[in-house]
Amino acid sequence: MLSYVIRRILLMFPTLIGMTAVVFFVMGMSPGGIMGSLLSAEGGMKSRDRKALEEYYDKRYGLKKPLVVQYLRWLGKVSPVGPKEKGQGWPKSTSVGFKSPDLGESIAKGRKVSELIGEALPITLLLNALSFPLIYSLSILMGIQAARRRGQLLDVGMGTVMLGLWSVPVIWTGVMLVGFLASKQYMHWFPTNGLHDLRADQMPFLPAFTKAGWERGWLLDTLWHLALPVFCLTYGNFAFLTKLSRGSMLEAISADYVRTARAKGVDEHGVLYRHVFRNSLIPLITVAAYVLPGMLAGSIIVETIFGVPGMGRLMIEAVTLTDRELVLSEALLAGFLGLLAYLLADISYALADPRVSYE
Amino acid sequence: MTATDTVSPDNSLLASAEAHVPAVEEDLPPPQRFWTKVWRDTFHEARAKVGAVWIAVLIVFAVFGPVIANSHPLAMKSGGHWSSPMLRYLTPVDVILPIFTLAAAIVLFFTRWSGGVKVAALAGILAVVSALAFVLVHPPPAVVYEQWRDLARAGKIESAVHAPVPYSANDRLRDQPEKRLTGPSREHWLGTEANGADVLSRLIHASRIALSIGLISTGIAVVIGVVVGGLMGYFVGKVDMLGMRLIEIFEAIPTLFLMITIVAFFGRNLYLLMAIIGLTTWTGDARFIRAEFLTLRNQDFVQAAKAAGLPLHSILFRHMLPNGIAPVLISASFGVASAILYESTLSFLGLGLVDEPSWGQMLNQALGVGGAFVWWIAVFPGLAIFLTVFAYNLVGEALRDALDPKLGH
Repeated sequence: MLSYVIRRILLMFPTLIGMTAVVFFVMGMSPGGIMGSLLSAEGGMKSRDRKALEEYYDKRYGLKKPLVVQYLRWLGKVSPVGPKEKGQGWPKSTSVGFKSPDLGESIAKGRKVSELIGEALPITLLLNALSFPLIYSLSILMGIQAARRRGQLLDVGMGTVMLGLWSVPVIWTGVMLVGFLASKQYMHWFPTNGLHDLRADQMPFLPAFTKAGWERGWLLDTLWHLALPVFCLTYGNFAFLTKLSRGSMLEAISADYVRTARAKGVDEHGVLYRHVFRNSLIPLITVAAYVLPGMLAGSIIVETIFGVPGMGRLMIEAVTLTDRELVLSEALLAGFLGLLAYLLADISYALADPRVSYE
Repeated sequence: MTATDTVSPDNSLLASAEAHVPAVEEDLPPPQRFWTKVWRDTFHEARAKVGAVWIAVLIVFAVFGPVIANSHPLAMKSGGHWSSPMLRYLTPVDVILPIFTLAAAIVLFFTRWSGGVKVAALAGILAVVSALAFVLVHPPPAVVYEQWRDLARAGKIESAVHAPVPYSANDRLRDQPEKRLTGPSREHWLGTEANGADVLSRLIHASRIALSIGLISTGIAVVIGVVVGGLMGYFVGKVDMLGMRLIEIFEAIPTLFLMITIVAFFGRNLYLLMAIIGLTTWTGDARFIRAEFLTLRNQDFVQAAKAAGLPLHSILFRHMLPNGIAPVLISASFGVASAILYESTLSFLGLGLVDEPSWGQMLNQALGVGGAFVWWIAVFPGLAIFLTVFAYNLVGEALRDALDPKLGH
């Protein structure tokens, strides 16, 4: 197992290099290249200013160098292993060792990329950390109910209803929720934008009665702002996993060991929860690898609609500003998280099913 | 249908062999071809029929859009003689689509040619029709939509036949500024947008983009997936190892992120959009074909084809592919749905086409600046996306159950 994990981790490096190379050369080979996109984003300029800016970008980011050189330079900077300078005197003795990766500085925003990501990533992770358990617990419950009532109305209708729910586009749900539940024209039950109220900093952490009356507190305020985005991230995968969990429950129910358990007199509750349920979890674990990166992509849409300043929003900003450093770092991070999810799913698959072995 | 009459490609042989036993003769089902049976099983169910009907409606909208929703009268009498402004303002694409659809229907359903001949015939017809249309059809470069309404108001049109929806998709109603952003009414069934364009007309014309993006980008994805996956499954070893890394690379980048990066750096263009969606979604197809080919490559008929010295493309595409295509067909049906979703998402994020109407771009305008919400621009385009995605998913599920009864109920 350990050697398998180590091999998988080592295989991540070529994949990540290939992936960032794809993203880099997509940007580099666009008409006008990275420099052209940056300059055209500036708008009309006098030729002298333009030239000065070009010089500045070239000096600072090496944008006039050949693409391969530019990519290798970036790779050298972010790589956790590389030449390290030691000592002061001349000749400088260099040695190869571990160093902290340098994600560089955002071209358009003029701030460190690691800082920008450090602000945005926790928000996206929070969104996903809230909706992921929600998706799994609800869909397993629904799947069990459907499998218990096999062939009855609930079960027959549910297959199509869940397919329908899965087909509802997130962009539509988001717009409708903001429009009908959050906007001032209709219900105005939820905030339309952002993560906190303007006064959130002065609120107590927990809800409380103060002199001014009922105060909802920082925690409740945040949850109130997150309710609609989390719903948008949840329902599609919930529908998908409910179908899957029903199918795997049914497959487990008709297995031989269940017949054996019934034959030796285990009661229905015991059969369902001790034998069927645990075995039906295995396919749900394997798809987690696809659900997690999908949710990361889903947060691009959700964060744009609800104005949540997370990774998704930062991705859109980086791309529209044609910011090379930011785009590359985000691709690297998203790819890394995706590969990590695949690896974790494979490991937990082996843990859940003793028949699976990677030796 | 019971399990006993499940028909595989060479079951007609089996049927004729058993026909010697007289007692069984009446019970035997007529020999069916495999794909005929799959087709029948798929559309036997109500859900697949519902999906197919909606897709058919969309095809009608896409092909006959200019006749269904158009500001130019279909025919009118002015100054004593009849003319058809609609015909004069048709674009080459407006002309290609109905002719090609008619030809395709004839070739597909009324000829008894083999599959390869049909595909070649369709490609030939498409090439000839497109070439002729782009040479011969020249609509006026500047289109003034309100001219007919002005003429009618001036009493210069004696009689006219209008389209059921008498507004073009890009008709901004410049003569009626008071009609901007009005809700559903008798004149504008689904309301108007902020710039005055009729929502229903835009919905109808946008179905063309949705359908073509769905079909063509899925086609690109399937071709790439089949070639890469087929080579991986056939050659195994190093080719497989390299191909797997390529698949992992493309699966590691969030598809939507790669798409918006390409669109942002390369600009917006319908054909580029199709290529991008195809180029970023082929990995699932490649995995399926690889898995199928890994089991097929050791079977006798493949070994026989190899021993007979057939060229590689013949072994891969004539002998192995027909036996391993089923999972790809299922994923292609779901793939069309997700391609339509990707297109509408890109358009919603403001990265879609500029001049052409698109459902996602319309939905984007429902939430105006300052939080103003226009319900008729939110409800109807969203419903169109939902119904289309749902329809393709329904057909995909029915197809999956027909091809693999084990997976379904």
